[in-house]
Amino acid sequence: MSATAQPGLRGKRILLAKPGLDGHDVGAKVIALALRDAGADVIYTGLRKSPAYIAQAAVDEDVDALGLSILSGSHVELVAQTFDELAARGAGDMAVFVGGTIPAADREALEALGVKGVFNSDMRLADVVAQVARALA
Amino acid sequence: MAISRAAASSVAEALTAPNTAPGAAPVIGVTGAPGAGKSTLIGRLVARRVRDDRTMAVLAIDPSSPRSGGSLLGDRIRMEAISGDPRVYIRSLPSAGAHDGLTDNIAEVLGVLDAFGFGEVLIETVGVGQAEYGVRALAAAEVLVLMPGAGDYVQAMKAGIIETADIFVVNKAELPGAERLEAELLAVLERREVKAPVIRVSAVSDEGVAALSEAIDAFLQESRERETQAARQRFRLQSLVQRRLREVLDQVACEQWRLPLADLYCSVLKRL
Repeated sequence: MSATAQPGLRGKRILLAKPGLDGHDVGAKVIALALRDAGADVIYTGLRKSPAYIAQAAVDEDVDALGLSILSGSHVELVAQTFDELAARGAGDMAVFVGGTIPAADREALEALGVKGVFNSDMRLADVVAQVARALA
Repeated sequence: MAISRAAASSVAEALTAPNTAPGAAPVIGVTGAPGAGKSTLIGRLVARRVRDDRTMAVLAIDPSSPRSGGSLLGDRIRMEAISGDPRVYIRSLPSAGAHDGLTDNIAEVLGVLDAFGFGEVLIETVGVGQAEYGVRALAAAEVLVLMPGAGDYVQAMKAGIIETADIFVVNKAELPGAERLEAELLAVLERREVKAPVIRVSAVSDEGVAALSEAIDAFLQESRERETQAARQRFRLQSLVQRRLREVLDQVACEQWRLPLADLYCSVLKRL
């Protein structure tokens, strides 16, 4: 399961967060470990954080990327709110990735908001890590 | 941004960085074994100490993987008590190449923080064993967090980190074995020249956190005169030399390792 080292991720800071109310973070933790094993410094916020808290943490921690794990179905609203909160803190250009149960029909809406990558559970872990590494290179 | 730059700077960059006037804000070091409850305790402690006229910064260090170089920094999760308080700044840092419970460039990061005028800075070390007491050189007050079931650990620590701490916390005091730990700790500390308070805390219920905060105040008051600037400068110099040594050792070519030890020693020293 472990991903191979990605030289491009070495020293990169990535915040993984779970906005909203769903209480399942196995996926977020699997991604966190894979990114760590690929060489990144991964900060995990824990469950049920508000978009405002997540945006502030991303700015305070000066991260290179923000990963949002959402299984509740309200991904479009939560991602839009998170971008608003980031913009309010001067970080509207943050590289944001979204993972979870995202119907194909919503992918475009998320990308229109500025999301750099949308990941579903049927993707290979190594591909997710490689895509994040490419985006941050 | 400035903190990231300071945290990631090379030895050469650290040397050319402006020499910040250290010691503007008192540094409180919180250290202890993995799982002792440092993060939760810090959340409670900072919630109690922060005021409108005393903003606080927390540097929370977690270990870097020696294999991948990556890290999983999860201390924030346990600091619920201060999550979202605009008067508190939390920064998670990987230990990187440091093996003293801290992180490379911690002194430089503290220098950058000084410029922001925080009232106090807390450092949470990585979970430490018996001898990683690097935080001693940087902290005006060092708090060692222990938990029940660590009695043998106290015995084993007699000569290590237990000698350097200023304040001792018996955390998870609601668990069985807390009284025994406290008794063992007091017995060991009796032999110490400088007396140190032992405080029972239950970070989950906030019990004892007020007493700990008062003990920190009392210690800071008393130790105000102590010269921490020289200690911090010495620590900074030592960590830069150690990092430079790692750089040089990484450059030693494979075939050179067969040379006599004395020759290697001389050649490495020359390249420092």
